[in-house]
Amino acid sequence: MRISEQAKHENRIRILEKAVDIFTAKGFDATTTRDIALAAGLAAGTLFNYFPSKETLAMTMVTEALGQGREDFQRRRTGDEDLAEELFLFVASGLRRLRPLRPFLGPVLERSLSPFPRKSVCQEGEAARQEHLHAVQDIIAGHGFAEAPDYVAMTMYWSLYLGILAFWTNDISPNQEETQSLIDYATRMFVQIISGVVPGKGEAHAE
Amino acid sequence: MRSEKILEQELLKALPKDRNSDPAGLHLANLVTSVSNKMVPVNSFSRIWILGSLQARVTFGYLAYWLRSRFSDAEEKQRLKSEAHLAAALQLFGTMGYLRGAVMKVGQMLANLPEVVPEEFAEVLSALHFEAPPMHYSLVREVFLDEFGREPEEMFASFEQQAFAAASLGQVHRARLQSGEEVAVKIQYPGIARTIKNDLRALRLLLQPLCLTRDWEDTIAKLVDIERMLLLETDYIKEADHCRQARTVFVDADQVVVPKVYDGYSSKRVLTCEYLLGCHINEYLQRAPEQAERDHFTTLLTVATYRLYYRLHWLPADPHPGNFIFMPDGRLGLIDFGCTLVMNDEEWCDSNAAIQAALDRDMPALNQAIASACRFNHPDEMAPDHLEVIRQGFCWFMEPWQHEGLFNFGDKAFFLRGIENVIEAARKRYTRSVPMTIWSNRFTFGGRAFCYKLQGRCEFRNIFLGESAWQHQKL
Ligand SMILES: Nc1ncnc2c1ncn2[C@@H]1O[C@H](COP(=O)(O)OP(=O)(O)OP(=O)(O)O)[C@@H](O)[C@H]1O
Repeated sequence: MRISEQAKHENRIRILEKAVDIFTAKGFDATTTRDIALAAGLAAGTLFNYFPSKETLAMTMVTEALGQGREDFQRRRTGDEDLAEELFLFVASGLRRLRPLRPFLGPVLERSLSPFPRKSVCQEGEAARQEHLHAVQDIIAGHGFAEAPDYVAMTMYWSLYLGILAFWTNDISPNQEETQSLIDYATRMFVQIISGVVPGKGEAHAE
Repeated sequence: MRSEKILEQELLKALPKDRNSDPAGLHLANLVTSVSNKMVPVNSFSRIWILGSLQARVTFGYLAYWLRSRFSDAEEKQRLKSEAHLAAALQLFGTMGYLRGAVMKVGQMLANLPEVVPEEFAEVLSALHFEAPPMHYSLVREVFLDEFGREPEEMFASFEQQAFAAASLGQVHRARLQSGEEVAVKIQYPGIARTIKNDLRALRLLLQPLCLTRDWEDTIAKLVDIERMLLLETDYIKEADHCRQARTVFVDADQVVVPKVYDGYSSKRVLTCEYLLGCHINEYLQRAPEQAERDHFTTLLTVATYRLYYRLHWLPADPHPGNFIFMPDGRLGLIDFGCTLVMNDEEWCDSNAAIQAALDRDMPALNQAIASACRFNHPDEMAPDHLEVIRQGFCWFMEPWQHEGLFNFGDKAFFLRGIENVIEAARKRYTRSVPMTIWSNRFTFGGRAFCYKLQGRCEFRNIFLGESAWQHQKL
């Protein structure tokens, strides 16, 4: 049976919505695609027309949230930020959009963004990584660097970012405020590294 | 920048000396230097710590001196072990950036004593107190989104992105409400409360092996109390509540202003208050105000603190210079009720019993009150010299209460006598006391150092009689 584009679009949205609820309630690992199909009122087989696996499904949510985060970031930037501050704003805006997914995100990110070699690379995860790093490179380019940072610097950045994500998914402090200080510290540190600035004993405040 | 060598010499000059074990202060200076030269893994708060500065080292020195005095008669082997722990504890202390406020305060007090500390400290200290705060605007915005679900610009008619003042646990921004009022918005560093808890736990663990004297429990009890008060300072809802209560005890004629709190713009981490126009003491003194004007502000300060003491049973336990605003129209602004000790009934009765006994010159009652404050059941349990030293300190505290007419808080000899008593008590290790004494000492010395600097006088006895009369009316 053929269905209209409109209906397809609505199904897709419904699947994503229901999946968030079920992942949140049962956890990512304990949820089956069947559970999701059922909740969305679809046959299990039909679900695969939309998302080939629950990993893809979950990573689609992540990618969309991060996309919204990038839009928020563009809108919120004042243009007065220095590099560390702008990176902070970028990362924080993304996490804010990811926040509704946080309860089940640990295993999702672990699988889809793992930096270790895997048999099957998660396409959505890889795409999310590329998009994120491009955005970071654009930000860096806006701060007077003659050349784009090389793979060493970008690998370092990505490691920091994954570390932040990992910490954030486990952060039990109110509003994940400890993650905020981690982002603050990590972005400053990264900027110091790529600027070749040796941090002083007490930084700027020690006069 | 001055050289390390000169720094060393000044450090040596400024450190306390132990007559027997370390008459030149060399040992202590070495300890402090070795601690301050070591690298410390920083976290996001400790970046703001200024380990390198002379005044931080001197303050360190005093802390080390106080801690060391607790195990100086131990066996040599045990002593060396203890010193290693002491160094580690100081090291950790050095990373507790949020304590810089507290450290400055101790340093500031010392800076009022040219005999103890070189003059130029005063300048270094005041410069340090108003250093630029480290939260950038994007972080501030995240805090707002978390606390209120809105950005600062959405909440306020205008909001200055750059903070105008550093607070001990955050920073303060100026803003204007939609309704036009000018406000000061204090914002706390995310995660600081938990950092404080973790650090103090670690500090206690490091100090544990120093447990050598009978007063050990006393030290731990004080650390616990410090932690309690520090955590209290992280709760801006509580502070807002204190602010509101304090406002109720002053009327316009008092010329004492407590800023209004704006609830819709305040939370646990953000405190929005009416902005008080004016300046701090240093700027005020630069204008070389007349004696009458200094006396006026000394009077207001005294009325303000004793009003809070008698009506609300509060000790403003952090009377440091940043908390008083000299307003251009001659009023005194009181800000920062974060570190307010609310006495329980027992503490209030004890505190008053001591004052009353001193006023009545009732020696047995006074001795008993002092014994209790030092955690003894009876004065006989105290060594006579111990009792004598503590009593002298208390009598010094009571001098203004018994003096008819104007009392001159700018009198150097008077102020120095108080400090000398504290130093003597520390040197003789008469430091065992109920935790509340940390705060009452800070209250007393903070307030008196301020009035000393102000070179002000007031009719202290009349003020106290007026303020304390209120409790009799109530009965
Ligand atoms: N309502 C206000 N009007 C004007 N200035 C203010 C106001 N509130 C705070 N400030 C400024 O901000 C500084 C720090 O504020 P506050 O004393 O409340 O912070 P704090 O966290 O208690 O820090 P500290 O312990 O160092 O005093 C003050 O010294 C003052 O300069």
